[in-house]
Amino acid sequence: MASFFEIDLKLHQGSFGLEVQARLGETAAVLGPSGAGKTTLLEAIAGLRRAEGRVVVGGEILQDSAAGVFLPPERRRLGYVPQDGALFPHLSVRSNLTFGQRRPSAAGDVDFATLVLALDLQELLERYPRHLSGGERRRVALGRALLARPRLLLLDEPTAGLDPLRARKALARIRRVRDEVNVPLLVVTHQPEEALALASDVLLLEAGGVRGSGPARQVLRAPSALARESGQHQENVISARVVRHHADGGTTEVRLDGGEAVTIPHTPDLTEGGEVLLSIDAEDLLLATARPVGLSARNAVAGSVDELIRVGTSVYASVGPWLVHLTPAAVDELGLLPGMPVWLVAKTHSWRVVAG
Amino acid sequence: MRRSRRADAIDLSQIVLFTLAVAAAATVLILVPGVAVAWCLSRRGWRGRMLVETLVSLPLVLPPTAVGLGLLLLVGRSGPVGGWLYETFGIDIAFTWRGVVLASAVVAFPLLVRSARSAFEEVDPRLPAVARTLGRGPLGAFFAVELPLAWRGITAGAVLAFARALGEFGATILVAGNIPGQTQTLALALFQQVQVGRDREALELALLAVLLAAGSVIVSELLVRRREKTLAE
Repeated sequence: MASFFEIDLKLHQGSFGLEVQARLGETAAVLGPSGAGKTTLLEAIAGLRRAEGRVVVGGEILQDSAAGVFLPPERRRLGYVPQDGALFPHLSVRSNLTFGQRRPSAAGDVDFATLVLALDLQELLERYPRHLSGGERRRVALGRALLARPRLLLLDEPTAGLDPLRARKALARIRRVRDEVNVPLLVVTHQPEEALALASDVLLLEAGGVRGSGPARQVLRAPSALARESGQHQENVISARVVRHHADGGTTEVRLDGGEAVTIPHTPDLTEGGEVLLSIDAEDLLLATARPVGLSARNAVAGSVDELIRVGTSVYASVGPWLVHLTPAAVDELGLLPGMPVWLVAKTHSWRVVAG
Repeated sequence: MRRSRRADAIDLSQIVLFTLAVAAAATVLILVPGVAVAWCLSRRGWRGRMLVETLVSLPLVLPPTAVGLGLLLLVGRSGPVGGWLYETFGIDIAFTWRGVVLASAVVAFPLLVRSARSAFEEVDPRLPAVARTLGRGPLGAFFAVELPLAWRGITAGAVLAFARALGEFGATILVAGNIPGQTQTLALALFQQVQVGRDREALELALLAVLLAAGSVIVSELLVRRREKTLAE
């Protein structure tokens, strides 16, 4: 895969050092615990912090210390959206939005009106940032960055501090805008499901160094990553379409991209026919070797075991897009082997909506 | 001057207008360099910052007469700057209105810088950074973001500096003397009236000084309060 985004950066600041080398695709996530240097890395990419090395975005060299190239932030055309938006407090929403506006030059470029609608900002235009909620500020900041027609969007923890409902709405909106505007993005987050929701590539950052990079599922499910995250929940993130709501039954029916019908807890705010991103913990998936009958669990998905990953006293079975957490005893009892057909079973209430 | 000497009385309106004009001129003179120095001091991590900080604060802590003496040595006709100005342009600073403006400006400078500097320090550093990523150069980000956000603090500092310039005495009397009608400000006239025993006139001048100073401090307070209110929201 041709890499869209190439970074090779070194930065030292007091006792903190950051050393990052990676090639990533058009949507990528920098994932790591707080203090790993994620925001520092974003700032270095944006040119706001001087680091040694190379940054190439979509074939454009933004920085190459060896060649003496260092484009200042204003010439990098990266749409930086800091954590809480960092809106200009002395300017109205409208003036914030148009602050860096570049005229659309090609078909498909966003114009002001379209973006205001897409981000649901019509009512906010004449307000000032101090009168906006956290979620509203972020929407304005996203719009402000997009109107400058960036070659890459840099998002710093886009849902930090939002309650779960607002967070999933925000993720859905970012996904929608990303696809509508067709802008590459690099998102910084500490939540794997957020990374999976927004990006296809992942860069694992820890203590200023890279622990892995590449296609998201591959990186997150590497045995070393699973071992390091042992004790942490492994979320399966999967996309689906809303079929219909069953208010009486307390469920909402969705269809997974693989075609299987699944019920999730009744979530009336999801639009029927709309896209939704679901997650389920690897702990909450049951594995059966025959089609289960007489169970209260309403969701059974057929698949076959691709791989059994042993990590310490745990075994992760990888079944298509799914990861299932098992004990070695269960693996022996079921006689699980790669290639075996299996059914995955999940309770309705194990599903969570990540974006939608 | 001749008339006032003959009448042996002071020309109140002339003194008040001259004092206001001098203070205004001094404030205008220091506005741009003061804001520039304040901005530099609000940035961290450059060499010589301590030195500049100390130099800027000196007029605030030194006896004004010491500042005046220093200025006189610099801009007097035999001083390096004064001598050059006189020989090249025929301009005198010492013992003219220019000397009054200069002395007031130097003494008022630290007040403007301190206020403006804390105003710049209050600006979230991410804001100019974001402005840069949105296509503004360093100067563009300064004028579009930092200056408007620091504006109230700068204005409050300018009003304080103006008030300080209104009452300047020590440095002024050394650099510009106390020449009625030429370099005599309100503070200098008051001193002169007391010296010659005209207590009534001195008191009048003192009351005028109170009005002018109170007026400018109130304006400054109002501006600071408005700024705090905006920040608190």
